Amino acid sequence: MSLLEVKNIRVSYKKRLGIDNASLEANSGEIIGFIGADGAGKSSLMHSIAGVIRFEGEVVYDGIAYHSPKEAEQVKPFIGLMPQGIGLVLYNTLSVGEHLEFFADIRNVKKDEKFQAYKEKLLHMAGLSAFIDREAGKLSGGMMQKLSLICTLLHRPKLLILDEPTTGVDPLSRLELWEILDSIRKEEGTVILVSTAYMQEASKMDKIFLFDEGEIIAQGTNKELIDSIRPYVYEEVTCKEECLSFNKRTYSLKPLHVNRAEPTLEGLFFVNALKKKKLLPQVVIAKRDKEIAIPPVVMQAYGITKRFGSFTANDHVDIELKRGEILGLLGANGAGKTTFIKMLLGLYPIDEGELTLLEKVIKSGDDRQTLKSKIGYVSQHFALYNDMTVRENLIYFANMHQIPLKTALNRIEQYANELGFKEYMDELPTALPLGVNQRFSIAAALLHEPLVLFLDEPTSGVDTIARAQFWEILKKLKEQWNISILITTHYMSEAEYCDRVLLLKQGKKIADDTIENFYKTHPDAKSFEDIFLTYYKDVE
Amino acid sequence: MKIFAMIVSKELLSFLRSIGLVLVVLYSFTADVYIAGSGIQIKPRNVVVGYVDATGGGVSQKILSKLHQPEFRPPVMFLSQKALSDAIFNKEVMVGLVFDDDFEKNYRSGKKAQINLLLDATAASQSLTTLIYLQNIIIDFQSMNFPLVLKSHKLFNQNADNHSFIALTELLSVITLLIVILTAIVFVKEKEDGTWDIMLLTPVNPKIIILAKSFSQVLIVMAGVVLSLGFVIFGAFDVPLNGSFWAFMLLTFFYSISSAGIGLFVAAVSKNVMQVAQLSIIIMMPLIFLSGAWTPVYAMHPVFQTLSLFSPLRYYIEGTESIFFRGTEFIDLWPYFSGVLILGTLLYLYGFRKIGKLF
Amino acid sequence: MKLTTIKAYILKEFMELYRTRLIIMVYLMPSMIVLLFGYGIRMDVTHARILIIDNDQSKFSQMLTSKFEHTKYFNAKVLHVSEKEALRSIKQAKTDAVLIIPSSFEKRLLHGQKSEIGIFVDASFPTRATTIEGYIKGTVLDTASEVAQRGGLSAKGLITLNQRTLFNQAMRDEDAIVPGLIGLVLLVAPAILAALLIVKEKEEGTIFNFYASPLSKGEFLLAKLFPAFLLHSINIFILFLIAVYIFNVPFRGSFMLYWLSSELYILISLSIGMLISVITSRQIVAVVLTVIITIIPGFLYSGMLMPISSMVGESYIEAHLFPVMYYNHILYDTFLIGQGLGSKKIIMYLLILVGFAVVLFSAGTLLLKKEMK
Repeated sequence: MSLLEVKNIRVSYKKRLGIDNASLEANSGEIIGFIGADGAGKSSLMHSIAGVIRFEGEVVYDGIAYHSPKEAEQVKPFIGLMPQGIGLVLYNTLSVGEHLEFFADIRNVKKDEKFQAYKEKLLHMAGLSAFIDREAGKLSGGMMQKLSLICTLLHRPKLLILDEPTTGVDPLSRLELWEILDSIRKEEGTVILVSTAYMQEASKMDKIFLFDEGEIIAQGTNKELIDSIRPYVYEEVTCKEECLSFNKRTYSLKPLHVNRAEPTLEGLFFVNALKKKKLLPQVVIAKRDKEIAIPPVVMQAYGITKRFGSFTANDHVDIELKRGEILGLLGANGAGKTTFIKMLLGLYPIDEGELTLLEKVIKSGDDRQTLKSKIGYVSQHFALYNDMTVRENLIYFANMHQIPLKTALNRIEQYANELGFKEYMDELPTALPLGVNQRFSIAAALLHEPLVLFLDEPTSGVDTIARAQFWEILKKLKEQWNISILITTHYMSEAEYCDRVLLLKQGKKIADDTIENFYKTHPDAKSFEDIFLTYYKDVE
Repeated sequence: MKIFAMIVSKELLSFLRSIGLVLVVLYSFTADVYIAGSGIQIKPRNVVVGYVDATGGGVSQKILSKLHQPEFRPPVMFLSQKALSDAIFNKEVMVGLVFDDDFEKNYRSGKKAQINLLLDATAASQSLTTLIYLQNIIIDFQSMNFPLVLKSHKLFNQNADNHSFIALTELLSVITLLIVILTAIVFVKEKEDGTWDIMLLTPVNPKIIILAKSFSQVLIVMAGVVLSLGFVIFGAFDVPLNGSFWAFMLLTFFYSISSAGIGLFVAAVSKNVMQVAQLSIIIMMPLIFLSGAWTPVYAMHPVFQTLSLFSPLRYYIEGTESIFFRGTEFIDLWPYFSGVLILGTLLYLYGFRKIGKLF
Repeated sequence: MKLTTIKAYILKEFMELYRTRLIIMVYLMPSMIVLLFGYGIRMDVTHARILIIDNDQSKFSQMLTSKFEHTKYFNAKVLHVSEKEALRSIKQAKTDAVLIIPSSFEKRLLHGQKSEIGIFVDASFPTRATTIEGYIKGTVLDTASEVAQRGGLSAKGLITLNQRTLFNQAMRDEDAIVPGLIGLVLLVAPAILAALLIVKEKEEGTIFNFYASPLSKGEFLLAKLFPAFLLHSINIFILFLIAVYIFNVPFRGSFMLYWLSSELYILISLSIGMLISVITSRQIVAVVLTVIITIIPGFLYSGMLMPISSMVGESYIEAHLFPVMYYNHILYDTFLIGQGLGSKKIIMYLLILVGFAVVLFSAGTLLLKKEMK
């Protein structure tokens, strides 16, 4: 019999279904992976197993069966739960050392020598030994997640439940987190349930469950799962119907007459979408109303620096953005990506450095006034007015850009069709999936037909398919409008769609080159993540 | 100008869509003003009077018969002074009257006649007013003994009706608090949601946005004022309006702008709605207390009197009282208008610059 | 009971309160409210601005005006202006009352002929108007009887009220209001803090540490409420010092009784906060709700505005449903009266407070769920 058995779990919230009909088994020392988009049901299942939410169905841990949070009390001494959200369980004003003391105490761990040794070991593994006195609120995202993890490990749980511990964390910290998990399961025989948004991490899991819309759509080992879709994966071709293309591959249920390609795990979502006939609307972008002359170099900046008190958020960063170029700004959380974009946009004053935007040297806010109609911006979390419908939002933004009402209405209609959010026009943004909000934020930024587009983490939290479609939009925009795009992301795999990539680490630029050149200089790299890691480690 | 109108209408729409805020505003302008006006009673009402009468009746009973509803409940007789004072100790009786045995004799023989009065003074406001009432009753009782007619006129409010006064004062406090909090929330919400950045990247001048947004909240509050006047102030309490309605609305408008300035300041230094609430209360409480809403300015400690010169609320409250009750002519209202306008301009400019600097 | 666990939580709460500066609010707010209200509310009228128009200019009329000039109740001004001008001065809010002494006032009085004294009071502030009116009438009548007695004009004696104000001889507003304010503040402030401490963890997600741990509900609540309890216990002393040393309110009862009943009362307030935290999940909502639930009854049923004995009908019943009334009774006793436990009523009220504490605390414990919504 397995150590953990989960039978037919169902969780429903007021308005929607969390997860339905979920079952799984796990044995001592196994790492079980949950993969799926936001809202696919991963967290609901994890919360049920951890006994922190009401659920239907049964969980049996080590012979103890429970059906409600109340009954789950008896297994809580053996469980460790790390919920989703960077540093969610941490108290901003407490130091690293105080956290360890606190978590040991609330778990009633005896503080003997053995505990001290274990604590030291965890601190060392997490690379936090030097930061014992630092307040949690002042740690980087990666450090926060490592601290949360070791706090969860202090009482040596036998069942460890980790909800997206690596999301938004820099690749190096992510590697370190996985190393900690690996050694823990070996040494302690812990069952680890872990969810992730990064497909690459699947290779480290013993068993994988794929989630979509409150259902487990597939399960098995990494290899089994990849093999299961092998027949549907082809090299990228242009095909008209019942197929999807993404990341140099085309997925189709009907046989195509092209070479097959090596499938990846994310292909499962495409195949699933095809099977469910959830075909995406074709993205079409029409040419601009009027062609506009765009200078060959859209933006140039030298030695851009931003300081917050004693902390330097951006340290002498140079950047150049050419006409019709997609430039990716990559870096971990806290590397200074958002600050950098905000300085370029004039939302933060530039402390030091020189900026030329559309051939105009920017000295003061007034210099930007005439440029504002040529720049589009989509911010992190899609800043929209949540109490107005999609249509009202768009009309409002159009008005702010002083676009004549008739033109504005025509364009809104056009984008709604082209970007495929027509049926959501009269809904409030809060009621819509993230992917739809993302597309309509882009539409809002495009209303005044800008020459440059700044996108701050537009893809985080959005599911694989919506992301694929989003990149499709950007590609078409570039082709049709000759627009320049500066985009930040923490998905390393998305670097592949950029023309050029700029790597930031702790506010400094550590690399800046075209994708082709990166691969040329790193012939061994299998993916861009590998390249990124070599740079990150080098600078360390 | 078109943009200005656009932003204002968008803000009004947003306001109407956020049910929580609408409810708070409606509650404050109607129920809250009503509860304050009807619940807070400073006149004596249903006061329990106990007495010990050793005179055998006559004058004492005549006096007691003057204590009637609604101010007093029928007086309760006690047999001894001890029993009476016990009842007062246990807060069952608030006022005790003791007529000694020589009371009537003294009165009839032209000497000073004393009634001993035991008063529970822990009931702050009511003890004092009750005492004054009793004194007035006794004065009236014997005023026919003198060739004197005291012809008293309570101007502007002949019945000294307290409801209208308290309801009006509460309305002014509500206006103050709401305009500050609403203005601050509008800006802080944009800060929290990140929409402010998007606004700044549009070619619209940020100054117009700030002006339009604060103006929209002034409009909301003005609408609330009209509502409150209609349903509560004039509707439920029948408050007299001896002066000009438009003078009041104009004064309210100027005052709202000055408070919106405080709101802008609060928004500039707060990160979230929680901080807005904390800060507004810390700033507004002293302002309300120093304004003369509860105690007239001239009766305050001299230090507070000086401080209150810097509170726009002081001019607003005095001005409003003058308009409503005293029916002061427009020309005599100039001190209030200029006080509110000068302080208002300064406060608004300060808040405006403070929030303008942030973005 | 896992003592180390509870201790750890308590220690953490203190560190957080201290480092987030929330502790300033814990001590600033109650004192600020008591100071502001204590200084801000004046029921007694002093220095009322009275304008006297003396049309008689006789010995008697001057005797009358000098009575007004030599009292703290009035700032008298004798002016030769017309009635119209005097009334305009009221309209401009420069004068509170006008007293008009008719010509040949003295002569008529001495001949036993009726003469009419006109009094005009600005009733924009109605309570004050009534008070001012009473003072004016009293002063005039007092003078008149003096004159009458001197001249042997009146056959009947003058009835006076020999005021023996119990508990608050000087009729000081401070004595009457400040203890009531303590009752209000100790109801509102601990409730807000308790609600915040729990809702903050909900809003920030750290509540998962409790959900996922073997800690029981009772232990969690104890850990959360104890710091709030301790911090506000200090407020009991601070407020006492403010009352006694800043406002000079006498303290006649037993300090032990004041202290213990206040601790009990804080416990009730904390339980109210806890109940609120059960149904809310955002800090701002929790604060607004607590304020609405506690402040209105805290004011209305405190006895500050209206003695409980004067209440009739539903408000009499409602007053008995809130803890404020019972606590304030004990509070006023300890400050102004000093019967202490010698009074049966006080013992009964203490027991009722214990009942409130037990019922509310159990309700909070039962309703708090160790699971997500």
